[in-house]
Amino acid sequence: MELRINQKTYQVEADADTPLLWVIRDDLGLTGTKYGCGLAQCGACSVLVDGNVVRACVTPVAGVVGREVTTIEAIEADAVGKRVVAAWVEHQVAQCGYCQSGQVMAATALLKHTPKPSDAQIEAAMVNLCRCGTYNAIHAAMHELAQGEKA
Amino acid sequence: MTHRFARTAGWLALPCLVAAGLLAWYVTREPASPFADVQATTADPALISRGEYVARLSDCVACHSLPDGKPFAGGLEMATPLGAIHATNITPDRNTGIGGYSLADFDRAVRQGVAPGGRRLYPAMPYPSYAKLSDDDVKALYAFFMHGVQPVQQANLASDIPWPLNWRWPIAMWNGLFAATAPYADQAGQDAQWNRGAYIVQGPGHCGSCHTPRGLAFNEKALDDSGKPFLAGALLDGWYAPSLRADPNTGLGRWSEAEIAQFLKTGRNRHAVVFGSMTEAFNNSTQFMSDDDLAAIARYLKSLPGDPQRDGAPWQYQAETTAALLDSPGGHTYVTRCASCHGLDGKGQAEWMPPLAGATSALAKEDASAINITLNGSQRVVTAGLPDAYRMPAFREQLSDQEIADVLGFVRSAWGNHGGAVNPQAVGKLRGHTDPASSSPIILHMR
Ligand code: FES
Ligand code: FES
Repeated sequence: MELRINQKTYQVEADADTPLLWVIRDDLGLTGTKYGCGLAQCGACSVLVDGNVVRACVTPVAGVVGREVTTIEAIEADAVGKRVVAAWVEHQVAQCGYCQSGQVMAATALLKHTPKPSDAQIEAAMVNLCRCGTYNAIHAAMHELAQGEKA
Repeated sequence: MTHRFARTAGWLALPCLVAAGLLAWYVTREPASPFADVQATTADPALISRGEYVARLSDCVACHSLPDGKPFAGGLEMATPLGAIHATNITPDRNTGIGGYSLADFDRAVRQGVAPGGRRLYPAMPYPSYAKLSDDDVKALYAFFMHGVQPVQQANLASDIPWPLNWRWPIAMWNGLFAATAPYADQAGQDAQWNRGAYIVQGPGHCGSCHTPRGLAFNEKALDDSGKPFLAGALLDGWYAPSLRADPNTGLGRWSEAEIAQFLKTGRNRHAVVFGSMTEAFNNSTQFMSDDDLAAIARYLKSLPGDPQRDGAPWQYQAETTAALLDSPGGHTYVTRCASCHGLDGKGQAEWMPPLAGATSALAKEDASAINITLNGSQRVVTAGLPDAYRMPAFREQLSDQEIADVLGFVRSAWGNHGGAVNPQAVGKLRGHTDPASSSPIILHMR
């Protein structure tokens, strides 16, 4: 089947129900997207599909045919994604980093839909787990991003 | 005076004795079997493999085996209102299994629930349904168990039922009232496919053991389509086994025949994925049925009319009312915990992750299935030897009773669903019963 990932077209051979995450990591070698739980519970595998954040471990690959998938590898090609990564660096959010590609995806999706989210909206959208406990740093970075572009 | 009293008492005692004698005969007799004079046990491979198929249709293995035990060596614990009993060793071992059974003994056990010597089996063994097996299928089943199954020496476990409740003879009276007595007979006016479907559903498939509501004596309220309660949906073992009639909400009203067959063959279709006790029935039985038999089952089930009074107004998808519901504790939990798989629109990712919009568990007034699957997750669905990639996780450790009640209340009210609110106490109760460490667990009932 034909997949669009990061503005490129890939031909992959996979069963219709194969999780998108396996295809991205194992078949295409895009290993920036992480495997955490495989059960839609942690968010480490988050990617964007048509600008919405989805958990790739519970997304059958057949469901994204004809749609545009974005992974962490290409997130800085997106204006919003670029701002998110810059804020993440500025606030030194990452500890071990394992969850962070998913966190950046969740943050980008939120800001695409809601450019100036309230703290409550941030809290409701940023639900990915972080075993290093970077939640405060994430919140600080998001809070700043929610103020809009810096002058 | 004393003399006359004694004589009167004697006259009275006589009919009592006769009655007692008749009763004793009735409750311990070995009923007739068409195979009474048949000696032959044949090891004909065609017959054995046919018997293996009948054993699949009948799902013998689900109860007579333990997951890590030898096939058919028994051991599964089942609850009765009186105490726990255990499924027996039905391997052909001569000492601990059924190796000593003649064909007639085997027939009486399977179709009439009577072990050699007249001892009555507990109706946890679905002989009220198996009574409908054809003579040919019983013969094949016997050949399979005698020649196709490895004998295993493993003693049966005694029941927990205390004396005198463990007397078996009263079951004979129960049988007289509630068990079918004759093999399935083709219904005139119906074609061969319909009749084949009816045979499997009523007989070997024993679908009614879970899907037909039970009466006060734990009897299925109907054993065939002549009764309205037949397959009308029932609560069992902490799950709600839905209606298999043409009810659009709680039954198969919105399913096509092809979708029913697909569900039984692959464990999923665009409406639902097997879960709860049906996972075992699928993993061990229905997926092994031939395409012809599955089509026959679908055909037969689709011929059973629904009951609008019981089922209510047919569900229709509604997007409008859902937005307001989303801004609630239950809605928030749904977005963060459930929507990745089941979708913000509740439509799931058919056929892999089932929709919740229009799901039976969100439309039935019985909320046991919705609560149970949320607390405990789903078992692995194994199709043709391959476990599936997607599973419902257990939220027992992550969500409180109140949070589960809230999120299920949301699911059961959104998208036109009308199952309605869920009581946190009901969640707490099922949480206890389905906790393996609890002192009052649900153990499997009759099926
Ligand atoms: S790996 Fe997908 S949510 Fe955890
Ligand atoms: S930074 Fe280590 S898991 Fe989040």
